[in-house]
Amino acid sequence: MASVTFDRATRIYPGSEHPAVDKLDLQIQDGEFLVLVGPSGCGKSTSLRMLAGLEECSEGRILIGDRDVTRLQPKDRDIAMVFQNYALYPHMSVAENMAFALKIAGVAKDERDKRVRDAAKLLDLEPYLDRKPKALSGGQRQRVAMGRAIVREPRVFLMDEPLSNLDAKLRVSTRTQIASLQRRLGITTVYVTHDQVEAMTMGDRVAVLKDGVLQQCDTPRHLYDRPNNVFVAGFIGSPAMNIRDFPLTQNGAMVGDTEIPLHREAVAMAGREGNTVTVGFRPEDVDLAGDGQPGVPVEVDVIEELGSDAFLYGHLPGANPLEDSPIIARIDPRSTIKRGDTVHLAIRPHHVHAFSPTSGERLPDA
Amino acid sequence: MTWLRSTGWRHLIGLATLVFALFPILFVISASLNPSGTLVGSNSLFSQLTLANYRNLLDDPMHPYAKWFLNTMVIGGLTAVGTVFLGACAAYAFSRFRFRGRRTGLLTLLLVQMFPQLLAYVAIFLLLLSLKDVFPVLGLGSRLGLVMVYLGGALGVNTYLMYGFFNTVPREIDESAKIDGASHAQIFFGIILRLVAPILAVIGLLSFVATINEFVIASVVLVDPDKQTLAVGMYQFVSQQFSEHWGVFAAGAFLGAVPVVLLFQFLQRYIVGGLTAGAVKG
Repeated sequence: MASVTFDRATRIYPGSEHPAVDKLDLQIQDGEFLVLVGPSGCGKSTSLRMLAGLEECSEGRILIGDRDVTRLQPKDRDIAMVFQNYALYPHMSVAENMAFALKIAGVAKDERDKRVRDAAKLLDLEPYLDRKPKALSGGQRQRVAMGRAIVREPRVFLMDEPLSNLDAKLRVSTRTQIASLQRRLGITTVYVTHDQVEAMTMGDRVAVLKDGVLQQCDTPRHLYDRPNNVFVAGFIGSPAMNIRDFPLTQNGAMVGDTEIPLHREAVAMAGREGNTVTVGFRPEDVDLAGDGQPGVPVEVDVIEELGSDAFLYGHLPGANPLEDSPIIARIDPRSTIKRGDTVHLAIRPHHVHAFSPTSGERLPDA
Repeated sequence: MTWLRSTGWRHLIGLATLVFALFPILFVISASLNPSGTLVGSNSLFSQLTLANYRNLLDDPMHPYAKWFLNTMVIGGLTAVGTVFLGACAAYAFSRFRFRGRRTGLLTLLLVQMFPQLLAYVAIFLLLLSLKDVFPVLGLGSRLGLVMVYLGGALGVNTYLMYGFFNTVPREIDESAKIDGASHAQIFFGIILRLVAPILAVIGLLSFVATINEFVIASVVLVDPDKQTLAVGMYQFVSQQFSEHWGVFAAGAFLGAVPVVLLFQFLQRYIVGGLTAGAVKG
């Protein structure tokens, strides 16, 4: 168990000028579950592979505990990794797969067997110890890959999208299992995923990356409530936050024919850059306005029924629904709104996020 | 009638192919058991049976068949093992490491294969001739020298074949083993070689058979009758005009074929698909 520190770690692939990971600065506490999340090509896997030692650091340092591991071989870093496609050794049985690292490390056979049995018990793999990987289902293989990491008792766990090859239902249950297993073992874990739901549900903290640059690293709650910029705001949350530019007024932004009040300083800062401001609001921070109440008129294109919730997808009158991104609102699943209706949406003023229209950075709201 | 048209004709073609493949073998066996010593004399298969040809084959001091046989096995075995090992090492490096000249190296291997080997015979002869003065163990007339020539000649195409097969083994297995603490050698011998066993068996078999059949280089390099291989030695049975011992030749050919068949039977079990099944989610 140990903390992990990325100190301006940079990776530039040979033949490319743009860094895959650009001056990543990240402190991961001892025992913490940190999730790296971002769209594909954002450098999250590269960051993990740099920590594993499978990818060189072009610049900067990586520390595990107090030890600088930047130039160390993977085997000297005391880490264990779970790969997206599991990478089991196909010619070895489950038990041999799990014991492989211990065998190389020269651990005595009794101790090896004991640790493999303990891990197998933890992961419900005991009946399969003598099987070869090809005789296992996808979920069992995934657990073997986890078990192989657990028996090592490493200082840091690295997981590279370990759930993306499972079917949707198994993914949800395994998600909880991994998170609770990690809390029980208390081993520092760095977890890579492109799925923001996984990131939000599993991580103590979530680091959002884009184009190799760290956008924000915070607790899931904070990330959701106070995104640092437009990218984080749009990436975290499903369905995504409604984000678009609206004309700036004296006290806020003009959305449709309604004025949404913004913080004074935010208005002033946006005013220095132009006469628009980027406003974001989450689908659940919208109410249907009753008759006579002010609201943004929206023409309904689609109603998405999820059972517990329903989401309304619509567009502002006069906008082309095929070109513009839709306005999304959460509504009562038992409401009678139909396609083609026009509804008036009231946006809850305290849940509005304002961003600079030029830089995309969050504007002050308090 | 419908049966014949839909399935039956396949059986007929199969039978014809079987006859086509088996007849020469039967003819050689028959000729080896025929005392007349001519090929025409054994046209009626198995009309006369005697082991005289086999006896002559084994106690002719001028033509030491047993020694040729042993030489062939040793040279063939060494070449097969050497080719597999060297080819696998080279293919692993080409497949897994990224180094300057990797692409050029692969292209060169392919390009060199385009030249007919015939062009090299004179060069090989001259090279071994001068090597003999400096380093007799590898020079002209040495069996080890011949093995070295074979190894060099076979490396190109075999490396390329293996390179393709190595690429089908997921890189994550290497990385996983690396994180588990395995050294390059442990990964190569303990994991990768086990997963590419089919191509190793194929390359080993092909190179063994090719070495046993090889005549031109062997006849150029090996002069001393005691050191010759089967192909070179047995040629003498039928090369002198008016004294062609086809019966003895057939006996020798039949015996020489036995180890190849045995080796194939042994290696066949490794030539299977799906060894990497279960390694990664497919």
